[in-house]
Amino acid sequence: MELTFTPRQRAFRAEVRDWLAAHVPAGPLPSMDTADGFARHRAWERALADAGLAAVSWPVEYGGRGAGLIDWLIFEEEYWAAGAPGRVGQNGIFLLAPTLLAYGTPEQKARHLPRMVRADDVWAQAWSEPEAGSDLASLRATATPDGDGWRLNGQKTWSSRAAYADWCFGLFRSDPGSSRHRGLTYFMLPLDSPGVTVRPIAQLDGEHGFAEIFFDDVRVGPDGVLGGIGQGWKVAMATTSSERGLTLRSPGRFMATADRLLDLARTSADQTLRDAAVRAWSDSEAYRLHTFAAAARLAEGEELGAASSLMKVFWSELDLRMHELALDLLGPRAPLAGRWLDGFLFALAGPIYAGTNEIQRNIIAERVLGLPR
Amino acid sequence: MKFSFTDDQRMLAGAVREVLEKSCPPETVRAAAGGERPGPAWRALADVGLLGAHVPEEHGGLGLTPLDTVLAFEETGWFAVPGPLVETAVAAPLLVPDARLAEIAAGTLVVSVASPLLPDADIADLHVVGDRVAPSGETDLTRHTSADAARPLFSAPRDELPAGPAFDRAALATAAQLLGLGRRLRAEAVSYAGQRRQFGAVIGSFQAVKHQLADVAIALEFAAPLVHRAAYALAHDAPSAPRDVSAAKDAASRAAHGAARTALQVHGAIGYTDELDLQLWLNRVWALRPAWGDDGLHRARLRDALLGDGPAAERLP
Repeated sequence: MELTFTPRQRAFRAEVRDWLAAHVPAGPLPSMDTADGFARHRAWERALADAGLAAVSWPVEYGGRGAGLIDWLIFEEEYWAAGAPGRVGQNGIFLLAPTLLAYGTPEQKARHLPRMVRADDVWAQAWSEPEAGSDLASLRATATPDGDGWRLNGQKTWSSRAAYADWCFGLFRSDPGSSRHRGLTYFMLPLDSPGVTVRPIAQLDGEHGFAEIFFDDVRVGPDGVLGGIGQGWKVAMATTSSERGLTLRSPGRFMATADRLLDLARTSADQTLRDAAVRAWSDSEAYRLHTFAAAARLAEGEELGAASSLMKVFWSELDLRMHELALDLLGPRAPLAGRWLDGFLFALAGPIYAGTNEIQRNIIAERVLGLPR
Repeated sequence: MKFSFTDDQRMLAGAVREVLEKSCPPETVRAAAGGERPGPAWRALADVGLLGAHVPEEHGGLGLTPLDTVLAFEETGWFAVPGPLVETAVAAPLLVPDARLAEIAAGTLVVSVASPLLPDADIADLHVVGDRVAPSGETDLTRHTSADAARPLFSAPRDELPAGPAFDRAALATAAQLLGLGRRLRAEAVSYAGQRRQFGAVIGSFQAVKHQLADVAIALEFAAPLVHRAAYALAHDAPSAPRDVSAAKDAASRAAHGAARTALQVHGAIGYTDELDLQLWLNRVWALRPAWGDDGLHRARLRDALLGDGPAAERLP
């Protein structure tokens, strides 16, 4: 066991820290779920890309640094500790890109990744449907062959960033006789394609963080298929396993929240809240160390598999608990607009998105503990 | 950054598991409650090197660090090993005169240490209360009836704890045992939930049961890295070691307690009997959670480390 960083890793951390100190905007940007805020976040992504920091774990040829997992974790720790803006390119960079790198053709990678890393194209996900939420495999949106390409029909919903994004990716049923996980195909298409209608949905906070997407005979060429016709479920699960596991919510985010929570707790005389804050900080350490252990297992050739469900439940509930505590510590000022309230509203979504925590607990019980379905 | 154990560290744990499979089945723990302490597991743990793991090599031990033995102590929790193991193998090497160390490694000296109660003082050759070490005949102790019949408790006239590394190392080893106990309880509950049928289905197929067991798995999964990091901090004499030990003990105690509660609930009434072996591990959790620093003590240390006037909280040693 070695819990220190190499001189090269320390130098990388220093580079990231220095760059962020010089470039992170002084005040928070307007919400990325407004037109102005979206544009400002897009510009921020471009600045990150120019510094080679937008996607450090990607291969160099696509705008990354070919960095290993530990380096990426270092980057994330520094990023969130610096109070840098939320990542408007998140869906593309952390969810789609790992799948694209694994299953995409050379042409698809060359076309999408360089534009994605600079936020020339911001991506939205199109998974859920009105009747397919936790039960994603019941999805009904269809893809019908049309010459060398496809026609898409149906409705997607809860598509994060779709109100202002440029492209989307998601699953469609390409075999009309199929059911459940079979007969699905993974598609990528521009949101300004003829026949696409995006209807923004106002969230709890009043902003348009997600949207419905309607597909009405939308034409997609053969290059819009990612990873083979009828292979969609397998391809999509590659995305969600990295999402649930390591790349969606790195420890750095929760460490930064926990550090700020301790600052708040220092000003309080309430022993119960102080103890809870201390425990939350300790849990943020547990999540960090657990991630290092997972990285070590991956380096030894093991796979995360269903263990990523343990992580998703843990970080989402820790995040919510920390924000609830912060509001308790703020007392009568809790409902005033600001970072903690914004963070609380965002944290409330954590147990719901990326597979609800009820679904994750089923997965833990069945695939980690081996209980019967 | 490599947060994983060496082959040697895993092999020691594997060897401990192997000898305890033979020498410490539930009947052995029951026999301990009937008076046969420390019982056959003690000899087995001496032979495999765990009793002398923290005794320096020049005194016949292995001279290992807490990082080398933490996985092995998790195994001793799984089996609810009888006898004052943490006291003798972990605390005593830092507290008793050098002349007695070889006996610890050989398995011929049993030591009970106050934390602040003394476990198994009736079978101990030496008693340690605070910084005083005395032969068993020379201490004034009171015997108590307590939760774990296999681990009788005694009190000294004043509550005292050893200071410094002996306390932290013993607290860490106890946290490791609690992790192992929690895993044993999880395994017992999962096994039972996969067999017991009600309403025409095994109860483990019901979501209400699944989700409780998933929560047990989550708590144990995230307590483990804190325990392992505390072992690393102690092995490297890191300034954060006392804080890390308290975080580990607090998390392991709560995870084990949660596992115990859920295991009992999943078993239902049969779990509430003396007849079922489950009670051996349940009672050990009730006994170890307050040993070597109860929750209040460790919480106070965490509070002082993180919210006190000292330097800001460093994340890693």
